[in-house]
Amino acid sequence: MEERIKVSNLVKRFGTFTAVDDVSFAVHENEFFSLLGPSGCGKTTTLRCISGLEQPTEGDIYISGQLVTSPKRNVMVPPERRGIGMVFQNYAVWPHMTVEQNMSYPLRLAKTPKEKINRKMAYLLELLELQGLEKRFPSELSGGQQQRVALGRALSTDPKVMLLDEPLSNLDAKLREQMRFELKDLQRKTGISILYVTHDQVEAMAMSDRVAVMKSGAVVQEGAPHDIYEKPKDKFVADFIGTMNFVPCSVTGRTEQGVTIRLKSGVEFGIEGSSAHEGDYTLAIRPEDIILGTERGVECEVDVRIFLGNVIEYRVRIGEDLFRVQTNSSMRLEPGDRTRAFIQNGLVFPK
Amino acid sequence: MNPDTAITRRSIDVRYVFMAIVGLFFLAVIVYPLSLVMIKSFSSEAGFTLENYAKIFSQDANIRALWNSVWVSCLSTLICVAAGTILAMLIVRTDIPYKSWLRMLLLLPYGIPPFIGAMAWAQLFGPVGYASKLYMSITGAMFAPWNIYSAAGVVLVLAVYQFPVVFITVSGALGRIDTSLEEAARMSGAGPFRTLIDVTLPLITPAITASALLAFVGCISNFGIPALLGFRARFFVLTTRIYSALSIPDMPLATAMAILLAIISGIPLILERRLERGKSKYTVIAGKSVRPQTMSFGGWRIPVFILVVLVALFAGVVPLLSMLLTSFLKYWGAPLELANMTSSHYKYILNLPMVTRAFRNSVFLAVSAATITMAVGALVSYMSVRAKIKGARTLDFIGTIPYAVPCTMVAIAMILAWSRPPVVLYGTIWVILAAYLVRYMPFSIRTTNATLQQVHVSLEEAARVSGAGWTQTMRDIVMPLIRPGLVAGWILVFMPALRELTMSVLLWSQGAETMGVVIYNMQDAGYTQIAAALSTLVLLVILAGNAVVRKLSKGEISI
Ligand SMILES: Nc1ncnc2c1ncn2[C@@H]1O[C@H](COP(=O)(O)OP(=O)(O)OP(=O)(O)O)[C@@H](O)[C@H]1O
Ligand SMILES: [Mg+2]
Repeated sequence: MEERIKVSNLVKRFGTFTAVDDVSFAVHENEFFSLLGPSGCGKTTTLRCISGLEQPTEGDIYISGQLVTSPKRNVMVPPERRGIGMVFQNYAVWPHMTVEQNMSYPLRLAKTPKEKINRKMAYLLELLELQGLEKRFPSELSGGQQQRVALGRALSTDPKVMLLDEPLSNLDAKLREQMRFELKDLQRKTGISILYVTHDQVEAMAMSDRVAVMKSGAVVQEGAPHDIYEKPKDKFVADFIGTMNFVPCSVTGRTEQGVTIRLKSGVEFGIEGSSAHEGDYTLAIRPEDIILGTERGVECEVDVRIFLGNVIEYRVRIGEDLFRVQTNSSMRLEPGDRTRAFIQNGLVFPK
Repeated sequence: MNPDTAITRRSIDVRYVFMAIVGLFFLAVIVYPLSLVMIKSFSSEAGFTLENYAKIFSQDANIRALWNSVWVSCLSTLICVAAGTILAMLIVRTDIPYKSWLRMLLLLPYGIPPFIGAMAWAQLFGPVGYASKLYMSITGAMFAPWNIYSAAGVVLVLAVYQFPVVFITVSGALGRIDTSLEEAARMSGAGPFRTLIDVTLPLITPAITASALLAFVGCISNFGIPALLGFRARFFVLTTRIYSALSIPDMPLATAMAILLAIISGIPLILERRLERGKSKYTVIAGKSVRPQTMSFGGWRIPVFILVVLVALFAGVVPLLSMLLTSFLKYWGAPLELANMTSSHYKYILNLPMVTRAFRNSVFLAVSAATITMAVGALVSYMSVRAKIKGARTLDFIGTIPYAVPCTMVAIAMILAWSRPPVVLYGTIWVILAAYLVRYMPFSIRTTNATLQQVHVSLEEAARVSGAGWTQTMRDIVMPLIRPGLVAGWILVFMPALRELTMSVLLWSQGAETMGVVIYNMQDAGYTQIAAALSTLVLLVILAGNAVVRKLSKGEISI
C-alpha cells in the first residue's frame, strides 16, 4: 500500500531540550493512524513538523512520496503547499468569518470556480450536518458545531492526508463518543489517511487501524490496537493502555506452556505464554483476565464490590496482594466471601 | 436568625453616608462647573441664544481653526495608526532582535509631556535647529527645506506623541491572538502575506479602530503642540483659538467653542466604548493556548532591525538629547563648540524664586489631586463594584464624565464657577486643584475599579463569616489587598498632574504658577535654553517616577 506520510528519524530540539527523539513511522492509504501518549510526550510537536508549521532539527518527512522536510538537504516546503488538511486542538475557526466563509476559504484561495464551491459547500454542510447554520458566526455555534466547521474546512480541498490534534478534547463525554463514530465514518466514506493525536487511549483504540505509543519524545510501540493491548512491550505501555494490576512476583520455574509465578505471600500459580528466566519480576494482569468462582485457581477473598453498569468490578485479595477484577457474569459475590480465582492471562516485566 | 444582621444593618448606614458625601462632592466639583459652560454657551444678557454658536461660524478665523483641528487630527491619526500598527507587528510577530529594548525606546515619547516634546522638535528642526544647521552646513544652503513652525510640524509632532497609544493597544491585541488561527490559514493554503491580510488584520481591526479613535481625541484636544508650533505661523486650531478667545476675553465665544470641541472629541469616545462592548462577538472557544509564532525575516532581519532602531531613536531619544544639549548652550543658536557650553542655566533656574515656587506648587497640586481623587475613587468603586449599592453606578458614571471633556473646557468651567462669590478660587492655586480633581477623577475611578475587581468577593465574605465587621474587613482584608493597585493608581495621577500644562496655563496667576506654565512662558518669551534646562529637570523627575511605578507594579504599568 502506498505511504501517504512517512517520517524517518525525526528529531526536534528546543534549545537543549529534546521534544521529539528519533521518531519514525508511516501512515498508509486509507489508514487511521494514532499517536498516543501522555501529556508533553511530543505528539503535537511531531504533528507540527509534518504540517510544516515547525522546522525539525533532524529527519526527513515525505507526503505522498514527495520529500517536504529535510534539514539535511535544506528542503522545507511551506505549510500552505503541502496539501494537508489540519484540525487544531482548539478548532481555530476564524471568528470574523461565517461558517460558510470559514469552510470555503481554502477553495477560494485555490481560485475554485463559484459553482464548484457551492456544490462542495452543500455536500460538506450535509455531511457534517451543518445545514441552516452557514450564515452564522462561530461565536453563535456550540463547541461541537465549531469543531465540525473546522473539519469541513480541512476537508474542503479533498486532501489525501489529514492531521488531527486532539480534536475531541474540548467536548463533553457524550458528544465525544458521537464524534468518534462520525470521524471514523467520515474517514471510511472519504478514504483519506488520518493522522490522529490523542492522549486518550480509549479514543485511540476505538478509532485507529494502527497506533504508535509515545513516551518522552520517542515511539515505544507501534501496531494494531488489539496487539498493543494484548502484548504491550513494556510496563509503560501496559500501564498506559487500559487498566492493569501490577504486583511484585518471582518466577520459580518453567511449565510446558509458560512459567510458574510466586507472589510475595507465597501463593503460586502458572501463566501461559511467558518464557522468563527465574528471578524477580513485576506481574501485570488485566482486570478481565481474572475469573472468579471457578473450580481451578487460587484462594481469594472479596474486599470491595463496585457496580459499573454493564460490568461489576471487585477488589479481591489473593494472599497479601489486592487485585482489580472485572466481570459481567451474573454471579454475585459479597465483600468477605471466599472463592477461587483463575488467572487466565498474565505478563511479566522486568522490575 | 443570622447573628450578622446587626453588623450588616449598621454598615449599610455607614455606606450610605459615604455615598451622600461623595454625591454632594461630585455635584459641586464636577456637575455644577461643567453645566455652567453649557448654560453660558447658550446665553446672552437677554437670555437664551444661539448667537455664540452663530459667531463661531460667522468668523473666518474660527471656521478655519475648526477645519484645521479636524484635518490635522485626522492626518496625525492616520500617520500614527499606520506607524503604530506596522511597528507593533514588527515587534510582536517577527524575529528581530532586542525586542524588549526596542519596545522601551518606542514607548519613550509616552512619558514625555507633549509640549516639552514640541520644544525639543523645534530645537531640532526650527530655523536654527540642530538638524537644520547640519543640513545647511552639508549642502551649503541658506535655509533648511523644512519648517517645524507650520501645520506640517504640528501634524508630525502630534503623531509622534499619540503613536504610543496605538502601539500599546495593537501590540496587546496581536499578542492575544490565538496563533492557531493564523496557522489554520497556512494549512488552508494561504501564504504568510495572505494570512496577514485575511486573518491577522481583521482580528486586530477592533483594536486598531479603538486606538485610532483615542489618538484622534488626543490630537484634537491637545493644546501644547499647536500652541508652541502653530502660534508663530499664525496657524490656529480649536484649542489655541479658545486660548486666544479667553485672553481677549470673550467668554461666550470661548464656551461655545469648548462645547463644540467636547462634542467633536466626545463622539469618538462613545464609539470607542461601543467597540469595547461589542468585543464578545469575536471571542470563540479558546483551547489550550498555542505558543506565539514569529515570522522569520531571514536575511532582512538586521536591515529591518536597524530601520526600527532609527525610527525609535528619532522619535524618542534624539529630541531628548537635543533638549539636554540646548540646556547647556550659552545662548540659543550658538555654534556647537565646547567654549559655548555652560551649566549656568541650571544655577540660574535653581536660584529663581519663581521656579522654586512653581516646583512647590506643582508638587503640592499633584500630591493633593492624586490623594483626593484616589480616596474618592476607592470609595466610589467599592460601592459600585463590590457592595453594588443602588445609585453607586450613577456616581461612577458622573465621576467618569470628565474623561470626555477636553482640558480646555474644564479650565473654562473653573473660571465660570469659581470666580464669583460666594466661592472665589480664581486667582489662587485652589482653582487649579479644582480643575485637576475634575480632570483626573475618571482615571482614578478606572484604576480603583480594576483593582477591586481583582479582589474576589469571597475573600471579604470569608472575613465577615469569621466574625469581622465591615470596618474591620476593610482594614484587615480589603485595604492590604488593594494597596499596591492604589499606590500605582496614585502615581498614575501624580505624574501627569506634575507636568500638566493645558489647564494651568489658562488658570494660573502670579504666585500660583506650575512647572508647565513656567516652562511654557520661558519658551514663549524666547528663553529657549532656560526652558530646556527646566524641561530636563522635569524629565528627570518623570524618569525617576516611572522607575518607581515599574518597580511597584512589577513592570505591568509604566507612564
Ligand atoms: N516552542 C517550544 N519551546 C520549548 N519547549 C517546547 C516548545 N514546544 C514544545 N515544547 C516542549 O516539548 C515537549 C512536547 O510538547 P508537545 O506540545 O509536543 O506535547 P504533547 O505530546 O502534544 O502534549 P499534550 O498532550 O499536553 O498536548 C513538552 O515538554 C513541551 O514543553
Ligand atoms: Mg499537544
